[in-house]
Amino acid sequence: MNRFINSVMNMNISGITLTAIILTLTFAITTHADDCFTVNGETIDANSNTRPFVCFQHDAHNEKAGLESCDRCHHSYDDQGKLIEGESSEDKSCSECHAGNVGSQKSFDSNRLNIDLAAKYHKLCRDCHITEKKGPVVCGECHKR
Amino acid sequence: MHSYYSFVTGPLAWIAFIVFICGSIWRFNSLWQLTKKKDSAVFEYMDRKFALRSIAHWLIPFGSRSMQLNPAMTVATFLFHICLFITPIFVFGHVMLWKENFNISWFALPNMAADVMTFIVIGSCIFFLWRRIKLPHVKYLTTPLDFIILMIVAAPFMTGFWAYHQFPGFVSMTIIHIVSGEIMLMAIPFTKLFHMFLFPFTRGYIGSEFGGVRMAKDW
Repeated sequence: MNRFINSVMNMNISGITLTAIILTLTFAITTHADDCFTVNGETIDANSNTRPFVCFQHDAHNEKAGLESCDRCHHSYDDQGKLIEGESSEDKSCSECHAGNVGSQKSFDSNRLNIDLAAKYHKLCRDCHITEKKGPVVCGECHKR
Repeated sequence: MHSYYSFVTGPLAWIAFIVFICGSIWRFNSLWQLTKKKDSAVFEYMDRKFALRSIAHWLIPFGSRSMQLNPAMTVATFLFHICLFITPIFVFGHVMLWKENFNISWFALPNMAADVMTFIVIGSCIFFLWRRIKLPHVKYLTTPLDFIILMIVAAPFMTGFWAYHQFPGFVSMTIIHIVSGEIMLMAIPFTKLFHMFLFPFTRGYIGSEFGGVRMAKDW
């Protein structure tokens, strides 16, 4: 460890260079984070059994998947629960319809982990990936460590 | 990869459940018929009080003399059986899958607890393996099938640990994990893993015979 510190010290990095490096790194990390979309992050707090945060890059995903219409994911249903073809719902958040019943899940209550919602978007992503035979399907492909 | 995933989580999963349930009913029935035909005295001697007394003693850690004489085995076997059942049912990834596929959910283990319990299962399997190789009285009773059964039981835990921690090749390992769980389920009716259902009957009968005929304790 000491040898490592000494070798870093011997590099004689000036304060300005160090600040520049830190700023660049911070910028790189934050711009990366900006690309990540969370699905109703407000309903899920990290707790001792959640998996690592998923970085969903919306635009990159749609470009790669060749998605042109929003309603493939942002679907819309009528009062009878019938899918309305061609109508999208990207002005709503998923939890407006799929909030589930946080209060009914006693064991998850203390952590406010809404697994109803998580189950919904897991299925939305995975079912499409299976149908299209491309994209991640097993847990660790999205929840990267 | 997608077609493998669809197959192992779809048709193969249903086959595994059906083989497990129907196979267990068949095995139970065939053993019942065999007992009726070859050793019907079992039904005569079966006694609820003596059976329950014996089962209770053997379900309590160190509740039998044999367990007191082999403390390492006692600790290993109790921890092993508890973790073997609790971990797959309550690990968060599995709770999530029950929610997604059957819309039911229950308590989930913290990740760290699931890891520790997985280690206990794998560690106990290594201990059981060592016993089968090294201890003469265990070695004498060991057949090659016993090693295969140990592998069948340890595999879902080793692959699950691998998949969860995303070691290299974890995508294929997740699929192997699913298959290994299905193999274990399907193996239960046709191997000595069936003791999970037979245990109350074998123990109960020994307890009945010792209690009612020999007037002795069997623990």
